[in-house]
Amino acid sequence: MTTSLLAYLLIPLFTAILIPFAAKTRRKLADVLANVTLLAGLLNISFILFNPANIALSFSNITEDGFALLMIFIIYLVALCVTFFSSYFIGDDSKVNRVPYYSLIMTSVSAMCGIVTTGDFFTLYIFVEVLAVTSFALIASDESGKGLEGAIKYFLLTFPASLFILFGIAFLMLTAGTFSFESIKIIIASGIPAGAVVFSLSLILLGFLIKSGVAPFHAWTPDAYEGAYAPVSAYLAGIVTKISGVYAVIKISIMLRLFEIKAYHTAEILMFLGMLSIAIGALAALRQKELKRMLAFSSISQIGYIILAAGMGTPLAILGAIFHLVNHATFKTVLFLNSASLEKGAGTSDMRKLGGMEHAMPWTSWTSIVALLATAGVPPLSGFWSKLIIIIALWDGGAKTYAVLALLFSVVTLAYFMVMQKKIFFGNPTEASRNAREVRPAMLAPVVVMCLLIAALGVFFPYIYSYLVETIAARIIL
Amino acid sequence: MINSFSMDWYFITLIFFAGMYCMLVSRNLLRQFIGLEIMSKSCLLGVISVGAKTGNLALAQALIITMIVIEVVVVAAGLSLLVKNYRITNSVDIWSLNNLRG
Repeated sequence: MTTSLLAYLLIPLFTAILIPFAAKTRRKLADVLANVTLLAGLLNISFILFNPANIALSFSNITEDGFALLMIFIIYLVALCVTFFSSYFIGDDSKVNRVPYYSLIMTSVSAMCGIVTTGDFFTLYIFVEVLAVTSFALIASDESGKGLEGAIKYFLLTFPASLFILFGIAFLMLTAGTFSFESIKIIIASGIPAGAVVFSLSLILLGFLIKSGVAPFHAWTPDAYEGAYAPVSAYLAGIVTKISGVYAVIKISIMLRLFEIKAYHTAEILMFLGMLSIAIGALAALRQKELKRMLAFSSISQIGYIILAAGMGTPLAILGAIFHLVNHATFKTVLFLNSASLEKGAGTSDMRKLGGMEHAMPWTSWTSIVALLATAGVPPLSGFWSKLIIIIALWDGGAKTYAVLALLFSVVTLAYFMVMQKKIFFGNPTEASRNAREVRPAMLAPVVVMCLLIAALGVFFPYIYSYLVETIAARIIL
Repeated sequence: MINSFSMDWYFITLIFFAGMYCMLVSRNLLRQFIGLEIMSKSCLLGVISVGAKTGNLALAQALIITMIVIEVVVVAAGLSLLVKNYRITNSVDIWSLNNLRG
């Protein structure tokens, strides 16, 4: 555990304990406490990341893990957007009780910061379980039948993941005698027989692949995202499944790279699963009728790109995977928050009932165009650069078939998003959209901020690239 | 002395597959939870057995106690979901969870 980053973990936890006592009589106070804590944390981490003095020294004065700092930034950003959005989304007549809702969000922010700052597998497992428990409760926070169904499926289909992680930890204790990332790297470098350690790391990897919803284990993802309470599905898709699954997959694939040729098959399978989920996610998203379900399949497809790059494992591919993780968090949050706005403004997010929404909800329409172009990888926006890095890394690493297929499925991504945009926002207004009204400006603010960030990440890409190279890629020992 | 490590893992595998069988054949959500619990208990036995083998029992015990606490929390969350679902749908059948499809 990096102790200097402990404050990012403890302060949200303290707020989570404080909220039930402070907001006992005045429920609105829960909104304020949650938003203020997250804003303070975001400003604090931005000061480290965007300080001109640090940029001038090309980040050589930052001794912490650059990957962890970037992940903390994105955790706080997405969590702040979701809490700010939901403080206006939850009406006075809503069934959602604000106090446990914000308390759970703060606990899960704390658990996610724990995941990204921890230094050993056992602590990682504990924080992943804490995050899972808070997610079950958050999905079912509006106490609807759909939410409960999604939460139960999430519970039953991801619980086996923790069994695999536990068995992996047991075998790791037998073969390596330690759980800490650094000691495992040293043990790998000392040249012990690789088979047993690779087996135990692969078991842990399998657990985290189930948690991240990669193709053969993706059955829970669409149900959990569709059933979840609307802002919570943005939170889940934007950051929770990325941190609880994909982050650990990237971490383990960095370790597996140290085995060089001995862990070749694990890396090969990882790349195959990545490609499979790109294909299955993109093709299934083409024929969805419900917006949130389509976005869930799109999320599976985008996670496929990250897993594919992590399986490649070269420094450039890992850099692309991390950058795509950040970009995916931004544009998926925008799209899911827009689906929540549609639910608020038009009463439904079913594509068959909506049409011609661009007149009623122009801001929602334009922001989702920006987000979908970024997801599909259209040049000035951020998604283009991360996909370009991933495809160049794949081509360089010799996986030319995967590079070509990844490029082709990028076109399918554009296709299903264009179908979505046409059905919901263009065309003739339907009955549901005639009565629709744009949501209030405060609810548009997080979406617009995220869109500006997407554009900025794309336009100022050289600076972002130098940050990624100097703090992450240069410090991965390969 | 009998090689207890291989005997341990024989029984751990047996318990694991007993839990898996329980999950596969039952339609009742509560029985599925019991199956999950049996499977995770086999994991805990695995950790203890490995600790005994490597002479690291103190660490293994510390891990086990933490894991038991975590599991209690997870299962409590799962059971609360089950109870709420029962209040809404009046059923604990796993096949009644079919409202979400696309």
